Amino acid sequence: MDFKELDPILHSQLRLAVMSLLISVKEAEFTFLKEKTNATSGNLSVQISKLKEAGYIEITKQFNNNYPQTICKITPKGVLAFENYVKALQSYMRL
Amino acid sequence: MDSEMKMSESESMQLITSMINKAKNFYGETGLFYLIWGWVILFCCLTSFVTVYFFKNQNGNLVWLLIYLVLIFQVIYNRRIKRFQRTRTYTRDINGFVWITFFICLMLTIFICSAFKRYEMINPLLLVAYGMPTFLSGIIIKFKPLIIGGIFCWLMAFISPFININYQVLLIAAAVIAAWIIPGHLLRYKYKSEIAGKNFGNGF
Repeated sequence: MDFKELDPILHSQLRLAVMSLLISVKEAEFTFLKEKTNATSGNLSVQISKLKEAGYIEITKQFNNNYPQTICKITPKGVLAFENYVKALQSYMRL
Repeated sequence: MDSEMKMSESESMQLITSMINKAKNFYGETGLFYLIWGWVILFCCLTSFVTVYFFKNQNGNLVWLLIYLVLIFQVIYNRRIKRFQRTRTYTRDINGFVWITFFICLMLTIFICSAFKRYEMINPLLLVAYGMPTFLSGIIIKFKPLIIGGIFCWLMAFISPFININYQVLLIAAAVIAAWIIPGHLLRYKYKSEIAGKNFGNGF
């Protein structure tokens, strides 16, 4: 049986949580991700930066009435990585 | 949540499922427009009924022009809110298109009935039209009061041919109470409870 390696970028609790949220919505604000994952702002910032570096998400920063807003959106590469991760998980779980 | 904590395969799968469910249950539906439209249409129905039926004054129908004011308010409000609410879900977008479809069908129905001078058809067809987006929104956001409201509109549409044309506007009044005002208040209550829950740090 061929076992796919689990993507190390996704095989981390917070990053996987963020990707699972982003795959379900069109785009999400930083505060939405923070609220749903119960993560701290600092930790979440670091993890979404890692996802961005991997090309899995896009980050848009803007100002809204003088308040900074960070919008995250999953990329096609991110969708593919997420699908492969789930497939790999399923192959391990069928053991 | 620990970023680097190692997870087993089943823990990963549980995390994915739980996050997808959290996102799936996020509608951000405040119920505001169900309430605004519900109360405005109810006001128009009752005002036009009282002025036309009791005072025999056809000018009472001019109250329906209020709808255009609400429509302008909604367009401005939606543009404004779009800049603030940047978490967009697929369900919310689909729901938006359902209501745009409804509005186009509604305007075409009124136009066609007026063009053929079949004014007696307007109210029954409006009731048919009201049921469609209400029922679909209920299905999309999984909110039973809207589903029941949509069915109630169709029930009113079904009985409308048996009701004197002068009283048909009261069927619309009953329909908007069941389809928009009651579900609107329930959605508002649900939304406010969620906000209060967040403020107390209960999470989701």
